[in-house]
Amino acid sequence: MWDIMKTIREINQRIKDGDAVVVTAAEMTAIVRENGAKQAAEEIDVVTTGTFGAMCSSGAFLNFGHSDPPIKMSRTYLNGVEAYSGLAAVDAYLGATQPNRNPDIGLEYGGSHVIEDLIRGNEIELIAEAYGTDCYPLTEIKTQITLESINEAVMVNPRNCYQNYSSATNSTDETLYTYMGTLLPNMGNVSYSSAGELSPLLNDPYFQTIGTGSRIFLCGAQGYIIGEGTQFATEVERKNGVPVSTAGTLMLRGNMKEMHSDYVRGATMPKYGSTLYVGAGIPIPILNEELAQRTAISDEEITCRIVDYGVPRRSKPIVREANYHELKSGVIELNGVEVPTSPLSSQKKALEIALKLKEWIDKGEFLLTVPVEKLPSKGRTVKPLEIQKPRILVKDLKGEALILAHPTDAISEVARKMVQNSINHLPVVDEGNKLLGIVTSWDVANAVAHGKNKLTDVMTKKVIIAREEEPVDVIARRIDKNKISGLPVIDSDNRVKGMVTAEDISRLIGGD
Amino acid sequence: MKAWLTFSPNIVSKPIISNLVKNYDITFNILRADITPKGGKMLIEISGTQQKQAIDFMGKEGIHLNPINKVVKKDEEKCIDCGACISLCPVEAIKPAEDWTIEVDDLKCIGCSFCTNSCPTRAIRVME
Ligand code: SF4
Ligand code: SF4
Repeated sequence: MWDIMKTIREINQRIKDGDAVVVTAAEMTAIVRENGAKQAAEEIDVVTTGTFGAMCSSGAFLNFGHSDPPIKMSRTYLNGVEAYSGLAAVDAYLGATQPNRNPDIGLEYGGSHVIEDLIRGNEIELIAEAYGTDCYPLTEIKTQITLESINEAVMVNPRNCYQNYSSATNSTDETLYTYMGTLLPNMGNVSYSSAGELSPLLNDPYFQTIGTGSRIFLCGAQGYIIGEGTQFATEVERKNGVPVSTAGTLMLRGNMKEMHSDYVRGATMPKYGSTLYVGAGIPIPILNEELAQRTAISDEEITCRIVDYGVPRRSKPIVREANYHELKSGVIELNGVEVPTSPLSSQKKALEIALKLKEWIDKGEFLLTVPVEKLPSKGRTVKPLEIQKPRILVKDLKGEALILAHPTDAISEVARKMVQNSINHLPVVDEGNKLLGIVTSWDVANAVAHGKNKLTDVMTKKVIIAREEEPVDVIARRIDKNKISGLPVIDSDNRVKGMVTAEDISRLIGGD
Repeated sequence: MKAWLTFSPNIVSKPIISNLVKNYDITFNILRADITPKGGKMLIEISGTQQKQAIDFMGKEGIHLNPINKVVKKDEEKCIDCGACISLCPVEAIKPAEDWTIEVDDLKCIGCSFCTNSCPTRAIRVME
């Protein structure tokens, strides 16, 4: 146990007297490196942190006020985005990722964009529907609201400020659109999302000062931590005291009427969905030498896993580990190749937030709070959701007789096989049954029309495949995405085991 | 210099580009081309000492030339300097400055629009 050198009460007195010494987490790294943690702990009172990243688990409670005659809103739409209204008559919760109900707008203007528009003071169209009761007779209304005109607009974000987060890359040969941004094929880029050494929960990794009731910077307002966030974990692998992947999270609350659009933004991850860029900053009181040491952590000392989003499963394969100094350099080596990196969260705004919080404290406008309860620092793991219906894998599908073509087959022979078996695709294999390509009835027709008679001239060599161990749902998505009607099933030695078609899958999925 | 060329369908088949390069000692780099039966549009990078003569020649042949300085335009108010666009750029035209302001180098940009399609705030657009 480290000796307490000062208390939050003493620090607050110094803030009021204008004597508190406040530095950002980035400055603290240099200070401790130069003077050591002991001296830094004596001299520094508060270290400010900051992050500005895409935080999907965000939203706002809104109270619209009562109309005359009144309405018990059971569905509400704000600029076309539905807010959850299964609360009291005129309360609703607007989630950041809710898409627009107009399919032409969809993901381009969702809940997060409404939140930004509210904070900017823009007028929002409110449509509400109700079933009508004796005390709430109206069944629909359509009106305009602003942040000013409604009673409360309180941002309550169930999960923000991930302590650390794995970076993403993509080993497949197609571009993936994810919540980690656009991932280029063949590990063409890496996207990371943490602010590294500036990030709030990496500077107090065991939650020694942070807890329920901690006053923080939230989107330009003074907000609060109201507890641990969802999917909170403590029992994780650590290096230099900090988790190497996801661990702690925060539930945050702030008054939207005091927020500023400089520090909160509606956004859309292309082909993924809308999300809210949330600006958060947490002050860490330097109560002892250990906290001075912890807040001095540098980008080099924070490890982050790079995982492969090419595998759409709960646990994704780890490609390598890296530190934030490497990631922020702009290129990182993956399997001997230099790959460009993208931050995804704004490093510039993270620093701006840490500086703004420092300015507030310097000016005496922001006082620290003693948390009423610390966040759990041990014993928490994240539970998976087990799906009760057993997952059906590709290999569980009942395959029909395996019909194959060989490169030497004549086109007429291939055409005959297709007609006889009433099939549209034929995998082309070598003697060892290894996949060489695929030929469709369209290719055969094409060959006949152009007088080609070699199968290798008309078959498609770049084949989209299904592996035996893959869940059928993943294959359904692949068929849909590539607009194909079937694909060959391959075992781990690249041998063709059968074909799976869109009909096989719809029969299966439609059957329950 | 970068420029958009617009031309009508009747000249799509003429060997104008090769004549240009042959007669005016210029280098000519096609960055983007959208050619349809209704005519076409091309984004080019052109350099050489006889640029002016080359441009006059194109004008006579019915190609309209629109010089540009910016291929993409970044709305600084919308941009949140997240940097999601950096690693998508195939020519390394997007880089963070010292303070992590995300900057686009107009000289390098080839208008491929990879960045514009992936910007979370739709802050960056290819100029028409
Ligand atoms: S992706 Fe868009 S918002 Fe992010 S830095 Fe690039 S232009 Fe700015
Ligand atoms: S348009 Fe293409 S070349 Fe230009 S900055 Fe964007 S990604 Fe780079």
